[in-house]
Amino acid sequence: MITIIIFLTGLITFGSKWIIVDDDFMKIIPNDVQSKIEWDKITNEFGNIDLMFIAFGRKGFSIFNEKAFSDLWDVTQSLENISSVDEIISLSNLNRIDNVDDFIEVNNLQNSKFLSLEEIESIHNYLKKNSQVSKRLLSKNNNYTSIILKPKANVNYSDLVKEVLSVTKNKLSDWEVFYSGVPYTTGLAPKLIQNDVQSLMKIGILIMSFVLLINLRNFYAVGLVFTVIIFSLLSMMGFMGWIVLLTNSEKFYFTLLNSSMPILVLTIANSDGVHVMTKFFKEIRKLNDKDKAIKSTMDALMLPIFITSLTTVAAFCTLIWAPLNPLTGYGLSIGFGILWAWILSITLLPSLISLINWNINSNAIKDESILEKLTSKFSFYITNYPKHILTFGISLVLLAGTGIQFIKVDVNYKTFFKTGTSIRESMEFIDEEMAGSLNIVFRIENDIKEPFVLKEMEKIQKFSELDSNVTLSMSIVDVIKQLHRSVMNDDSKYETIPEQRNEVNNLFTMYSLSGEQDDFSALVDYNYNVAIITALMKSVSTDQIYFFVKNMEEYIENNISKDLNITIAGMLVAFRDLVNLIVESSLISIISAIFMIFLISLFFFKSLYWALLSILPLTSAVILNFGLMGFFGIKLSHVTAILSSIIIGVGVDFAVHYISIFRYKIKRGTKLETISNDVVNDVGYPIILDAGSNMAFGALLISSFIPVQYIGGLMVFAMFSTSIGTLTILAASAEILKKYLNK
Amino acid sequence: MNKKYIYINIILTSLIFSNPGLKIAKQIENRPQPKDMKSILEMNLINKKGKQRKSSLKSFVKDGGKKQIAWFLSPADDKGIGYLKIEHDEKDDEMRIYLPAFKKVRRISSKKKSDSFMGSDLSYEDMSNRDINENIYNLLGDEIINNQDYYILEIKPRKSTNSEYSKHIAWINKTNILPFKEDSYDKSDKLLKQKYFHFTKINNYYVIDTMKVFNVQKNHNTVLTFKDIEINSNINDDIFQEKNLKRLIN
Repeated sequence: MITIIIFLTGLITFGSKWIIVDDDFMKIIPNDVQSKIEWDKITNEFGNIDLMFIAFGRKGFSIFNEKAFSDLWDVTQSLENISSVDEIISLSNLNRIDNVDDFIEVNNLQNSKFLSLEEIESIHNYLKKNSQVSKRLLSKNNNYTSIILKPKANVNYSDLVKEVLSVTKNKLSDWEVFYSGVPYTTGLAPKLIQNDVQSLMKIGILIMSFVLLINLRNFYAVGLVFTVIIFSLLSMMGFMGWIVLLTNSEKFYFTLLNSSMPILVLTIANSDGVHVMTKFFKEIRKLNDKDKAIKSTMDALMLPIFITSLTTVAAFCTLIWAPLNPLTGYGLSIGFGILWAWILSITLLPSLISLINWNINSNAIKDESILEKLTSKFSFYITNYPKHILTFGISLVLLAGTGIQFIKVDVNYKTFFKTGTSIRESMEFIDEEMAGSLNIVFRIENDIKEPFVLKEMEKIQKFSELDSNVTLSMSIVDVIKQLHRSVMNDDSKYETIPEQRNEVNNLFTMYSLSGEQDDFSALVDYNYNVAIITALMKSVSTDQIYFFVKNMEEYIENNISKDLNITIAGMLVAFRDLVNLIVESSLISIISAIFMIFLISLFFFKSLYWALLSILPLTSAVILNFGLMGFFGIKLSHVTAILSSIIIGVGVDFAVHYISIFRYKIKRGTKLETISNDVVNDVGYPIILDAGSNMAFGALLISSFIPVQYIGGLMVFAMFSTSIGTLTILAASAEILKKYLNK
Repeated sequence: MNKKYIYINIILTSLIFSNPGLKIAKQIENRPQPKDMKSILEMNLINKKGKQRKSSLKSFVKDGGKKQIAWFLSPADDKGIGYLKIEHDEKDDEMRIYLPAFKKVRRISSKKKSDSFMGSDLSYEDMSNRDINENIYNLLGDEIINNQDYYILEIKPRKSTNSEYSKHIAWINKTNILPFKEDSYDKSDKLLKQKYFHFTKINNYYVIDTMKVFNVQKNHNTVLTFKDIEINSNINDDIFQEKNLKRLIN
């Protein structure tokens, strides 16, 4: 048996070599979501619209010096050579348009690497005159300058950030350097978070082993629990790989969403192992015979482990109805991991137990652990004060439940990082001193050479800049106005949109004589039918973006001609939709999972009471979780929503174990007067030990990343609420209803 | 004859004979050229998505392209725009444009030879005659394409030459010493442009009638077609003046 199971586990695990990691989170969004459609359309026409910002300089020193321009020249050229970079915008490669003695010159702002002081002064003067350029590329006090990096479409941001950092480390070592923008945060954060989680997970697993060891007091026992956990994890990953190999389905790619899978399977597999080991110790203590103890353990636990696995698998399989593709793979793979944990718990685990020579006289088996004794004391209160406990529990849940109304769905990428961390300070610097870290794009479809259209675009730009988070906006309108001024002898009163279409056209033709063919390619399409306005913004939350977009849409609806076809897009708009979809998916999944668990319990326990009781602790824990999140102002994000499924996964296990042992004891003729006491004594200890050992992942609370802290906090909360919920609300309800449950 | 010149001639002659590449370059330079040319220049720009921009100009060219005046005939938006270019050896080239919508002539300066000509894939360097003294020529071999025998000539700008390119590889027809194709490489030695030439024979002169340029790096094409070509029609130098930009001359 052991050989077969190890061989099968190995075979399944072998599939993990075909796992495909995909960290492009835009792919997660279904193609029919409007923001994704707009995003794709703009990316197709104008290339990538995500921008990365790099600022360098030194506090208290003007950037207008030879060394800064020489380094800017070098770093711009090196960044332009990165294959995944589409375009670099910096003072070093920008064009200037001058009108000198009636002579229109289109030339490089910086002509060579080494500049004389006169040339630097000339650049300074030009920028003073052109606030649009200086606002984009200079800090408020001219101490820092920005480099704007536009990546090619569909490139891997992690690789891009690595290459950019290697260039800036080499070329800008003498300067303070700051980074921001969606490619930077999404390219860097997953890796940083992954490293942080990995190191904290190691601490968590160490604490978990320690908790199990001081309670089980036997290395073999802890080793066996971990065997089940590790084999389940490996099988889950292997399953994903096999499915990718066999079906080539993108739904089974390992995306950012899937990163919570290991922690989920780990906690659920731990539950199976802990229940078997603690029950075995109890039985061997009582029966003094290893084989009989194994048989008795499996007799008692076969059904509850089967039902807990089935209900949890069913709960995760409900994710196949989620609107996000990767959640299908997520749900089915976790389901497989749990299924394998069940197979291991009923085959490999008892087989391995039977191979070990257990010392019946050892303290681990002979004596109850501290936690076991504490649980026994707890059972006294359940039996004697069930109504008080139930009233208190239900009141607490209902009270906390009122907090649900305060819950908000919101994500701000900046607040993923703790205040004081270098990445957060970098983003804040660029938000405050430079032109901001984010950008949002308006796509305008019409005849872009038509002055009427350009004027409508100018109105949109001006209105967008009224938002305090928008630092500036840019479009082809700014270029037209600058060209118009140049043609009209550099007279500032002509920095306007010309009145006639042929005037606009003449300006473009004039520019084409000395400009590059793709100078305007980021602003207007080839045939002048589509233009974009880019609004640069400070880091804002999805909620703020929602209101900004809504506000802009209202303005456009009421003030802009209907002849213009206008849409708004941006990574953050798509991200807002993604977060909403994940939250929606998670909530649908939680509700359908609870319903499915109810049906499975009804089928197996053949009692409406038991079916209702089986979902009582986890429903209470879900209400408590979301209610307290509302009260404490913890925003509902893609991270917190998806991890709420831990509550379902673990909560149902505890409840089913409790109910199964309750029913098992009724069948075995345990008296009703003592039944709750007996059940809590029997099942309370593994529940508390399971929850207590999983709480070790509270170590994640010390992470530098807020979402990781949430995972840690949620683990502790889920374990606490579901275990205590089972041993209070469920136990007290069963005690009160025991006469009806006996029928 | 001065001894100095005799020595120079001997050196040059020996260089030419010892360097077949230079000999071919000399042959190209010495190919008979018309004094001037009138034509309708049709320019078709095609971007990487296949979108096109078409325009046509009436063009007068003299002194091997050093003087050019042209008027836009189409598209309708551009009709009436006039363009004048005069190249100078010692100073920056002069360019003027007449903007009919503003009724103004504006002088345009571009110090960069790599700048694109009217948004096309041709730079001003591509439009200018190549000075034999500013380049190093090497004959790399020969090749038969479509039953035509070609020299493969490498042209490398000298270090002192202001060029956007590191080198060109040209296929020169052995029979008439006309270029058929030229690959141009950027400063990092990466292929930048592929140019194809087609000539027509008018009054014993080979005159270019089609030129296709493909910018490999930008995935952008330009097709220039010269129609209604007239050569040696004694275009007066006075034509190449600012005042003539405002009206189309036939």
